[in-house]
Amino acid sequence: MVCAGRAGRLEEMGGNGRVAEMKLNTDMKVNRITDQVWEIPMSEKAGMLVPARIYATSTILQSMDSGVFDQVTNVACLPGIRRYALCMPDGHWGYGFPIGGVAAFDVDGGVISPGGVGYDVNCGMRLIRTDLTLEDVQPHLERLMTELFRRVPAGVGASGFVRLDHATLDSVMTKGARWCIEQGYGWHRDLGRIEEGGCIAGADPEKVSDHAVSRGINQLGTLGSGNHYLEVQVVSNERVFDRETAAALGITGHDQIVVMVHCGSRGFGHQVATDYLKVFEKAMRRYGITVKDQQLACAPFRSLEGQDYFAAMNCAANTAFANRQVITHQIREAFATVFGRSAEELGMELVYDVAHNIAKVERYQEGELVVHRKGSTRAFGPGSPDLPDAFKQTGQPVICGGSMETGSYLLVGTERAMQETFGSTMHGSGRTMSRAQAKKSVRGEQLQHQMKQKGIVVKAVSMSGLAEEAGFAYKNISEVVETVDRAGITKRVAELRPIGNIKG
Amino acid sequence: MLDDIALADLAFEAEGDSLENLFRGATQAIIEILANPATIGSAWERTIHRQDVDAATLLFDWLSDLVYWKDAAGVVYRDVQLSLAYRAGKWELEARMHGAPVDPVTQELRSDVKGVTKHLYDLSQRGSRWYARVVLDV
Repeated sequence: MVCAGRAGRLEEMGGNGRVAEMKLNTDMKVNRITDQVWEIPMSEKAGMLVPARIYATSTILQSMDSGVFDQVTNVACLPGIRRYALCMPDGHWGYGFPIGGVAAFDVDGGVISPGGVGYDVNCGMRLIRTDLTLEDVQPHLERLMTELFRRVPAGVGASGFVRLDHATLDSVMTKGARWCIEQGYGWHRDLGRIEEGGCIAGADPEKVSDHAVSRGINQLGTLGSGNHYLEVQVVSNERVFDRETAAALGITGHDQIVVMVHCGSRGFGHQVATDYLKVFEKAMRRYGITVKDQQLACAPFRSLEGQDYFAAMNCAANTAFANRQVITHQIREAFATVFGRSAEELGMELVYDVAHNIAKVERYQEGELVVHRKGSTRAFGPGSPDLPDAFKQTGQPVICGGSMETGSYLLVGTERAMQETFGSTMHGSGRTMSRAQAKKSVRGEQLQHQMKQKGIVVKAVSMSGLAEEAGFAYKNISEVVETVDRAGITKRVAELRPIGNIKG
Repeated sequence: MLDDIALADLAFEAEGDSLENLFRGATQAIIEILANPATIGSAWERTIHRQDVDAATLLFDWLSDLVYWKDAAGVVYRDVQLSLAYRAGKWELEARMHGAPVDPVTQELRSDVKGVTKHLYDLSQRGSRWYARVVLDV
């Protein structure tokens, strides 16, 4: 029932008489709830208001760094937290909250924390389908990747082709992807396939600093660097796990080509988070709030400071939706150029766009809660009243990015996620190796060559940045996906294998 | 660079025989994380004045300035001339930044730092030397 910490003592696992050694990177007691759910009781840290729950197989749990256990239990101490502090199987150390963290706070007695959202507000995933097959694309892959690399700026200080003045940036902050559609950067029907229709209400540009505006004004339509990417992928028949749901989402298999985008609000969102962490550090003293980690700085959700941050965060979230929409426009233009047919003729419909760094007010059995998802994805199940008709039968699409060598997944949300995890699931594979270690293990040029041998064309602004993203630096995404599938909080639909990648 | 502090990001420790040299070392770390300074021109320059009673806050805000101007002016840095003095109970920083607009064709660009974080952030004096530990979000 109980797993050992660093000492790795032998303990009984479950009631089947099986005995196994569990060496975890923590001294805390971790109870097995099911094969995929583990609980740290409130007795393990002074100040915990709810237990912490981690979704993982025993193998993944043992590979999790000590930061996960420390941070998820720190989150469990925050005022107004309800039910559990959660961490998904792709969890690893983060700032304040662990990456993979989910926590819900009462709107009246609870807090909002930039550390629970992440610096890259509304970092998220977007998936675009096509009618093209691997056979169609393979002869043109090098040219296609060159065209995409030219049209979608990436890396240090990259600026996009969309020129904004301050008034126009205000419109982007309040309208999000809707602003892009008004400008001709996409199709009106795209909006129905973006979380919140690509426009979150309550964004107020007055709550955003001049510093954030200056950082964001030239960045619309840019990927950034780090783990952000644009990837051309293939869906083969044998890797479609749920044909009916896949078909409903426009995924046919048959070596179909799809395009995935991973990026967020860039320096703009980061500045919003940095600005409000400072505000909250002072506000906490006024509200008598203490936290276990400076990066968990927070304020009551209903306070002036809490509402100001929520309004500014929504500006950043809308800017991120707009960023991915402009990138989508550029992707469609690149494909149209290379294949000599319009994006509509190529069937380049949006499958979905979903945030994985955000705080939102949602209704659960406890009432209205501020749900923080930091490196975790909303996963609303079939029939959810908050989903558009297109997803009422299937459940909300969930897009999970793996490493650039191993592939990614399309999943859908479930009713069980609504009951257990505040409608949330994993977001990616999660790192197991630091960037510095990865760079010591492989050179960017060497990795680029190795990937070409595997049939993956990589275009990168920075070779050192490329080395940092090597596949061996990440967990096996298939194992992470299997965990959430078995736990029933999301359902696998299809695996997406990379054939082309653009990195900052 | 510190290998195991920030799994998904970058961390470094800087040191110096004076607080001023510590500031110089930390500044150089950011410059080199962004790009290879040997490949950067000096067409752009800007002078920053900052003061604070707390040296740790001053260093944090100054390093954040480097990240801010990278995005706001769209530049990477060749070098920074920096001086630090303690006057009337405050640390005063004057820094002259030299750099050039980002150009992926001629410059060796590295990591796009999004911000300086407070995670494990530390500025301390041990014996006669100063040390700073900084975690960067990339």
